[in-house]
Amino acid sequence: MTTLWDTTGTAVVAALAAERRTGGAVTSGLALTLVVVVDEGDVAEAESAATVAASKHPMRMLLVIRRQIEAPVPRLDAEVLIGGRLGPGEAVEMRMYGRLALHAESVTLPLLAPDAPVVTWWHGAPPDRISHDPLGVFAERRITDAVRSPDPVAALGQRAVDYAPGDTDLSWTRITPWRATLASAFDTVHASAAQATVSGDPGDPSAILLAGWLSSCLDCYVPVEEHGHDGVSSVEVGFENGTKFLALRDGARMVLRRENQPDTIAPFPQRELGDLLAEELRRLDADQTYGNSLGTVNGIQGLNSRSGTRVHVWNDPALADQGEADAAEAG
Amino acid sequence: MSTVDAKNDIADSSGRQPTTQRSGPLDLATIQRNPLRQAADRRLPRVPEPCALVVFGVTGDLSRKKLLPAVYDLANRGLLPTDFVLLGFARRDWGDGDFEDLAKKSAKDQARTNWSDEVWNRLSGRVKFVPGAFDDDAAFGTLNDTLNELCKTHGINGNAAFFLSIPPAMFPTVLEQMRRTGMADDEQAGGWRRVIVEKPFGHDLESAIELNTLVDSVFTNNDVFRIDHYLGKETVQNILALRFANQLFEPVWNAHYVDSVQITMAEDVGIGGRAAFYDQTGAARDVLQNHLLQLLALTAMEEPVEFSAEAIRIEKTKVLRAITVPENIERYAIRGQYDQGWLAGSRAVAYRAENDVPPDSNTETYAAVKLGVETRRWAGVPFYIRTGKRLPRRVTEIAVLFTTAPHLPFDATDTEELGHNQLVIRVQPDEGVTLKFGSKVPGSAMEVRDVAMDFLYGEAFTESSPEAYERLILDVLLGDATLFPTNEEVEASWRVIDPLEAFWEGKEPHLYRAGEWGPKAADEMLARDGRTWRRP
Repeated sequence: MTTLWDTTGTAVVAALAAERRTGGAVTSGLALTLVVVVDEGDVAEAESAATVAASKHPMRMLLVIRRQIEAPVPRLDAEVLIGGRLGPGEAVEMRMYGRLALHAESVTLPLLAPDAPVVTWWHGAPPDRISHDPLGVFAERRITDAVRSPDPVAALGQRAVDYAPGDTDLSWTRITPWRATLASAFDTVHASAAQATVSGDPGDPSAILLAGWLSSCLDCYVPVEEHGHDGVSSVEVGFENGTKFLALRDGARMVLRRENQPDTIAPFPQRELGDLLAEELRRLDADQTYGNSLGTVNGIQGLNSRSGTRVHVWNDPALADQGEADAAEAG
Repeated sequence: MSTVDAKNDIADSSGRQPTTQRSGPLDLATIQRNPLRQAADRRLPRVPEPCALVVFGVTGDLSRKKLLPAVYDLANRGLLPTDFVLLGFARRDWGDGDFEDLAKKSAKDQARTNWSDEVWNRLSGRVKFVPGAFDDDAAFGTLNDTLNELCKTHGINGNAAFFLSIPPAMFPTVLEQMRRTGMADDEQAGGWRRVIVEKPFGHDLESAIELNTLVDSVFTNNDVFRIDHYLGKETVQNILALRFANQLFEPVWNAHYVDSVQITMAEDVGIGGRAAFYDQTGAARDVLQNHLLQLLALTAMEEPVEFSAEAIRIEKTKVLRAITVPENIERYAIRGQYDQGWLAGSRAVAYRAENDVPPDSNTETYAAVKLGVETRRWAGVPFYIRTGKRLPRRVTEIAVLFTTAPHLPFDATDTEELGHNQLVIRVQPDEGVTLKFGSKVPGSAMEVRDVAMDFLYGEAFTESSPEAYERLILDVLLGDATLFPTNEEVEASWRVIDPLEAFWEGKEPHLYRAGEWGPKAADEMLARDGRTWRRP
């Protein structure tokens, strides 16, 4: 492990190379680079999640912590670990101060694993437009978490507006067990669905996405009814022949209730942030199903036919604030 | 490189006359005659004959940072003959002691091996200096006399190697002086006389031919050693080992299996203080003409019949002559120049804003070109070569990208992420080889993704490998010419660059920001062929 204070990007690259050589890792295998963008207060949570993911996918992890953009002098602190507290792979944790934080890619770009796919994960609130963040522009896969925004529903809407194939959101990952259960329930049904209802928290992006998914697959409108405050509590589906089934969550179990049959009980895995991240890293191509569901939720068509690459648009938050202040003064 | 020893027995049995290029102690005839040197005995180091190394331009950067420390390292490893003399020639009012101090300081600062006063003391007393200017007849007379005296006093047997670390403009003067005094003449000297020349080898084909003719007229063709320090690197020599010592790679090393080859030489630094030289030269002449074309030659050459200097040079010359330049130079040869940007955490100024660079300069700091190699082995395979300054990181690599499988039995969605298989030779900085191939993602479904397996020449596991200059100087003193490009190679390389330079004359380069991987035009060049640059 090497710690560098007030250092340069070149020194960090050299330190990583030195760690690889002296750490005895004469051979290594990497599948991807994970760039984690996180605020100082959440570093511990992001670290433990990324470590769990690192134990499942051989990767190089780059944690970027941007602090004090308004600091007068740019500064870079870095920590390089291989096989240490950040998992079995290679990891570099960087803290950037001052204007350097707006040019994070100048330090991150040389550290990307050669010719390997890049995944960027924003731990905190997602950026309004990913093209404003250079760390998202060079990534093949971009992972956001709408639930961490102050207004999750609006954030999900913005994700749809800003969507490009390769984007994904952890609120989609959270409902994978639901989608698996519902899909296996449909395996034994031979009639077509007439209506469906999702019960849960209408302000939770996961519930909204589940409804959107059902809606895009079943071609009917699926509402989200309020019931409790904890994500998705149950899903009811009615069929044209009058039958229906109910899937409901009971703590750590998923109960599937069908007429004239005993309840089927399956475990509902409690998944941590690290597990969600690991699931997202299994597939690095664009998730068309997510694109369809997101589009259906927000009434926007053709998300999957957008271009998958973005071009960086320079956006200086200081100037943006100034612009708002000017407008406030003038108005 | 021990090229000559191995073919001892085979030369005998086939009845072929061994071809000896040099009259050194370690040619085939000598080995056969010397009862103590047996081909199977690999432990004995090859130490050169007693000789002198005369350095012109001792105060230059190259001498101080590379050459003098390399001499110390060779002494430390026991590879210098006991009768060795280091002679400096420069326009300074120094005595032997002053030059020795300079040499000691250089060696102490920059040597690769650890410093030992004892080793230095063996060298000290064998370090001489002759003051003089390049056009000073008397000074060269003194130099000649000194060399002759050293034969008696220090036992150098008339052998001397001249290292010309001087501006190209001074070549005619210095060479004329050497011819006049007879210092370049083997017979007159009673031993071998060799000259070591640094790049640039001319400015274009015409000047290169002129320079070659000039040098050859003073020294014979065999005694001229042109240094391309990339060829002294461990990893570059490993290309030959990888290709020709293994059964695994040779069958796929051709157009049937290779989709393209990308050779990249990227630097993150700018031009530093070298504006005067660089602005006249540009990236293509500085790096593309020599290092990159040599790397291309080693990657594309046919297998040499034996591992001797002559056989290897024949193959390299052959492949260099087969290189073709794109018909549409506008679209397939891109020049770039760096603009301001952020690099490695700090601001970088534009090329035109650097010290001593004219603000309207059209010199390129980036060049990318698509070359073809018209041989049966490589016809149809594009060789994409690029070099640049102020790119995100310093890396030199040769990437061989293989074709995709003609049929994949997997689901299309399961292999969406698969790219081309690659064999990448990382020349620097993380010396090693990478093999990239598709592998199953652990789990219950069949999903395939690319994994890159890196083999690293870690320092922890190998003897510290010699610096390029050590190996090359040793080879000059031994007379082993394998790692030195010939006249023909230099001229063939210029034949590739000249048409490009002629086309680019007077045109503006594409700008790219410092910290980016080059101009958009370079990406478009590959996109037209349906390919992308590998991000190294």
